[in-house]
Amino acid sequence: MIEVEGLRKEYGGFVAVEGSSFAVAPGEVFGVIGPNGAGKTTTLKMLAGLVEPTAGSARVAGYDAGDDEMRRHLGFLPEESPLYEEMTPRSYLRFFADLYGVDRATADERIERTLDRLDLDYRDRALGDVSKGMKRKVAIARSLVNDPDVLVYDEPASGLDPLTTNYIVDFTRELADRGKTVVFSAHNLYHVESVCDRIAIMNEGRVVAQGPVEELRREHGTTEYHVYADVDLDGATRENGGFRLTVESMDDVEAVRAELDGREGRIVDIRTSESSLEGVFLDLASRDDGPRSTGEAGSRGENGIRNGTEDGARAENGNGTEDGNGRGTDA
Amino acid sequence: MLPRLRPRVVVRIARWELFRGTGTLDRRTIGVYLVGLVVLAGALPMAAGSGLAIDEGIYRVGAPGDTPYRDVVESDPTFVVRGDGQSAAADGRLTADEGYELVFADGELLLATDGGEPTPKARAALAALRRSVESYNDRRMAEEPNATAAFPVRVTLRYADRRGAGGAGAAVSGGGNGGDGGGGATGSGAGTAGGTGAGSRDGSGGGAGAGSSGGLSPLGVDLFGTGTTDGSPSQIAPPFPFQSLVLAFAFLLPLNFVVQAYSSSVLRERINRRGELLLVAPVSAAEIVAGKTLPYLVAAVGLAGVVTAVVGGGALSVLAVGSLALLYLGTAFLGAMLARSFKELTFVVVTISVGLMTFAFVPAIFADVDPLALISPLTLVVRDLTGTAVTPSGVAFATLPATLAAAVLFGLGLGVYREEDMFTQRPVHLKALDALGGRIRSPRSLVGLTAVLIPFVFVAELLAVAALFALPGGLSIPLVLVVVAVVEEFAKSVPVLAGFVDGRYPRTRRTALLAGAASGLGFFLGEKLTLVVQLVGLPELRVGSAAFQMGGGGPLVAGALLLAPLALHVVTAGISALGAARGTGAWLAGTALAVLVHVAYNLSVVVALV
Repeated sequence: MIEVEGLRKEYGGFVAVEGSSFAVAPGEVFGVIGPNGAGKTTTLKMLAGLVEPTAGSARVAGYDAGDDEMRRHLGFLPEESPLYEEMTPRSYLRFFADLYGVDRATADERIERTLDRLDLDYRDRALGDVSKGMKRKVAIARSLVNDPDVLVYDEPASGLDPLTTNYIVDFTRELADRGKTVVFSAHNLYHVESVCDRIAIMNEGRVVAQGPVEELRREHGTTEYHVYADVDLDGATRENGGFRLTVESMDDVEAVRAELDGREGRIVDIRTSESSLEGVFLDLASRDDGPRSTGEAGSRGENGIRNGTEDGARAENGNGTEDGNGRGTDA
Repeated sequence: MLPRLRPRVVVRIARWELFRGTGTLDRRTIGVYLVGLVVLAGALPMAAGSGLAIDEGIYRVGAPGDTPYRDVVESDPTFVVRGDGQSAAADGRLTADEGYELVFADGELLLATDGGEPTPKARAALAALRRSVESYNDRRMAEEPNATAAFPVRVTLRYADRRGAGGAGAAVSGGGNGGDGGGGATGSGAGTAGGTGAGSRDGSGGGAGAGSSGGLSPLGVDLFGTGTTDGSPSQIAPPFPFQSLVLAFAFLLPLNFVVQAYSSSVLRERINRRGELLLVAPVSAAEIVAGKTLPYLVAAVGLAGVVTAVVGGGALSVLAVGSLALLYLGTAFLGAMLARSFKELTFVVVTISVGLMTFAFVPAIFADVDPLALISPLTLVVRDLTGTAVTPSGVAFATLPATLAAAVLFGLGLGVYREEDMFTQRPVHLKALDALGGRIRSPRSLVGLTAVLIPFVFVAELLAVAALFALPGGLSIPLVLVVVAVVEEFAKSVPVLAGFVDGRYPRTRRTALLAGAASGLGFFLGEKLTLVVQLVGLPELRVGSAAFQMGGGGPLVAGALLLAPLALHVVTAGISALGAARGTGAWLAGTALAVLVHVAYNLSVVVALV
């Protein structure tokens, strides 16, 4: 449904997007994450035909991005969606439905259904007089007036309260379940993790990793070993009456064990923790070593998650657990 | 390629624009507009019905009861009769401080003098008296039962050389008719130049009539001379068609309000990225702009229609105002696409209003002076209101440059009506360069771009002619040559600079020369459009001839005049392009050098050829 190949955008001498390539299948929610200035919005705007690529190609719903027919099959929601505030939600949506060539009866039926689903009251009140959350819902409804096959949402829940945010995230998932193809960017990685089938991580204009969240975690995350001992060790912290030392490999663990043996101490417990998506993201975002691919490395984080995340960035596993299931939850 | 415009989409956007526009006006603004409309609606019929009478009683006349001219001046509100005036002219002379412009004494007409010379106002009074006498006689004759006797037909044939015919012909006509009338003020004359001075004692009244343009010397023979009459306003006496001008102003006034609302609407699309979603919809930028513009164009033309109905104009007035409205809207659109805030837009709109009002109004003041006034479409309105005939070529000359300039302005604005340009906060001058740069794909595309800028060059040069026309010929012609050089060199070099700034081609010497040659060629091709001035005979004016270099001469000279500008434009555009390739400062220096070369060409080559 979406095929992007070698997409590049250059503004003067500044390269905003460099060689982005990815594909999104029908019914899939594809997340695009990255730090500010990574090129996410520019990429989405090139998909929507708003920005002309300097090089590369993007095909959406079988049409070149920017093509008139493509626009008829696309629903785009920009990060900022200032509305014509003197219009009412109903008149605003009718206007856009008309531009998309939707006949009046179909448009009215579709508008009312969408507004019902989005719990949008005040349908005849000026848009300038409704809340930000309501405006965002109207903007989402606008992206659906033409019943598009592909939805490109840039930060759909930006600046909204948690309740409205969850509502919109759930609605996005629902759209994908109804067969829409959704490309979705967000800063809130929990939302990305909870709604996206696959993601692309962008940094400095490049797609540095892409694939299912779990796969990315395995590929790009790291495992830490938390060694709990009954005697103090150099660099250890006191915890629950004992001492905890964090090391990064089993060799280090063995070295700790040897040291403890020499001091008549012993290892009380060993726990492992894997990188969360945020950890992967932070790790990749801090690098600048070009695009990467996923799915070819072996899985290191086969241990299941038991205790949730530690300081919001790592999922800690119980020692020796082998269930291999589950997904970490945000603190 | 022309942009796609689907009527259904354009009308849909226009309806939306109209609906949205009415929603944004607060009650106070609506109130101000309503009061303004009521005042306008009330003032216009009053003005049309009773006349504006701006020139009422401006000339003071002394006329004894026994002079036949007493009835004439009493029947014309332009004059005020202040007794017989004999005491003021007791010694056969009339000085300006006596409080009269004209006094009839002992069968002669005395003009007020200052330092022995008739004052300008006295000359104007004399001209007005001639017209008044003519009208008076016509009225008297019209009352005669025998029309054939009252209006005998006489034909006087005189063959004259075509060059300079304007002045010579006027003199012949005026002189002949003046004689027929028995001399003096009763002599009627279509051409007032050369008419006798109504028996004035000092004989200085001749040649003061409006429309005098006696004896233009060919360009080059007396380039800076002031020894001949050249028809400039310094040699033209009032009154101008005040009443028609003021009524024409009523056509112009609403345009300023329309562009204010229109430019605000365009800018609102750009503030906070409001227009972004329209750009994603399956409509072209041209359809969006056309839809947004349509209600304002309809409003402007509709108001012109209302004013026409009130003041008694015709379709010609509406046509003229329509082309002017397009120019206003095109300028406002581009201005709104370049401004970064409403504060900047205020400056832009005021500049547009003042600039275009000047362009439209100043030339129209000379509506009675052929052919220069036709630079402005408003002149068509004045002529329409005064019942003066205008040829089709005159209509085209008055409306086409403004319409074409408007088309180019919309085209440039459309070039930046896209996500990448319309929401940025770049300075106005850089956005203006973006607007040009957006139309450039390679140095070769400069041929077309520079060519389509010709309407601006044309309008700017015509405006320069109109502005400098008021100066004495010795000063106006060299100034025109300099202004023309400046306008043309900037018109050629700015697109080249835009290409460099926008990174459309590399900053190399070879590219600069190629771009300069393309720009020069495009300008040359577009410049040939200025041949349209031949249609209305503008080259017959000395300043017009200087501006558009329409000298005489044989085929060899004509060929040289055709090709020499091509060489000039390519060379000078190359000079400025070499500067542009090195940066803005070098571009300015290069353009200044190009202007100097151009001025030198204007002053030497053309004069030598003609």
